[in-house]
Amino acid sequence: MMHGNTELQVDAFLDGELDSRDSREFERHLKECRECARLHDARLALSAAIRAELPGLLAPDELKTRIRTSLRSAAGSTVSRAQRPTIGWRSLALAASLVLVAAGSWQIASDRTAREALSEQVLTSHVRSLMPGHLTDVVSSDQHTVKPWFNGKLDFSPAVYDFAEQGYPLKGGRLEYLGNRPVAALVYGRRQHLINVFLWPAGPGETGGPGSTMHQGYHLLHWTTPQFTYWVVSDLGLRELDDFARMLREADSAARL
Amino acid sequence: MEPNELSRFEAIVLPHLDAAYTLARYLTRHEHDAQDVVQDAYLRALKYFEGFRGAEGGDGRAWLLAIVRNTAFTWRRRYQQEAGAAEFDEQLHSERIAEVDPESELLGASARESLHQALDQLPPEFREVIVLRELQGLSYKEIGEVTGVPTGTVMSRLSRARSRLQRALYVGQEER
Repeated sequence: MMHGNTELQVDAFLDGELDSRDSREFERHLKECRECARLHDARLALSAAIRAELPGLLAPDELKTRIRTSLRSAAGSTVSRAQRPTIGWRSLALAASLVLVAAGSWQIASDRTAREALSEQVLTSHVRSLMPGHLTDVVSSDQHTVKPWFNGKLDFSPAVYDFAEQGYPLKGGRLEYLGNRPVAALVYGRRQHLINVFLWPAGPGETGGPGSTMHQGYHLLHWTTPQFTYWVVSDLGLRELDDFARMLREADSAARL
Repeated sequence: MEPNELSRFEAIVLPHLDAAYTLARYLTRHEHDAQDVVQDAYLRALKYFEGFRGAEGGDGRAWLLAIVRNTAFTWRRRYQQEAGAAEFDEQLHSERIAEVDPESELLGASARESLHQALDQLPPEFREVIVLRELQGLSYKEIGEVTGVPTGTVMSRLSRARSRLQRALYVGQEER
């Protein structure tokens, strides 16, 4: 074994950067060479001390918020459409409730603005549902309890599934009012996260999606089947939320067969 | 930028926020500067995102950390020009001398402080390889991607950095 760069060798060995042949050879060398063995032990101790005493840090929540806000405004300024001002949740919730009050005279300017307005309502509903006592009007993990609960409260019967086996258990449901109509809100769980699913009958000839957006750290997915328009919102990561949405769509197509 | 595109960007970079903050925090040595560096780096990353998509498909961590690292170095150059770095370092040095005790056990009460101080004393090019390897577990190749130097240089910097930490801490220096 070459000496002269003992430290490099020991470090590369401990970092797992030697290939298996060199690694075996170095292990044999360690048994014979006191100098290398002592360095090896010292490096192990140093590494353990660093890992124990200098832990990785967690980014402060404040930084997370700052970054999300600045990314949104930077991304927004690169498109031609008018930038929406960043507004706090309280004012958004207030604005949304004013929209609901004025719903009778509310006119849709275009599909796009309608969808944006709807996504804001969906978000507002989601955030409001997270406040104590607002999540569910019917609390049950049994789809056969939740589905009949909507009888007489809606002019349609929502599709209710239970994905407990896949790790997304049903929590319950409630009535919501979105886009000028009463809709079904179903709540599913994923670990400590909650997912709100809003659905109502699709208009004639409407299909589309899936599409996704992100607002204030929440992911929103929406799509339209021949039967229902769906909006799904959660603070869950996009990948898991996508998985959930896919299960929902598959369950829907299976139910239609 | 389309909302979908922003979501995709966020899905790639936000999971690495803690790693980005840790690196920036150790490089700038100040909490608020680290926050500014990370925020700036994320905005730069957004600008360069198009370029990332072409890159060989990693999970975005090395790519993002490289931007954080470069942002921190730019920030440091600017800061040093504005604020007389020698004086600042001088002060840090004297604090360290008061606390590092040659007789102390490595894992004694002041080990944490001693290690922090020893790490702080390293030139940033050495400090970053320690953070990337020991705290974040990057391979030599990944560290090379982040710092923009060949793997051989990563190897020698890491080894020299460790030897300096070891000397500073009197680890393995005592006769057994």
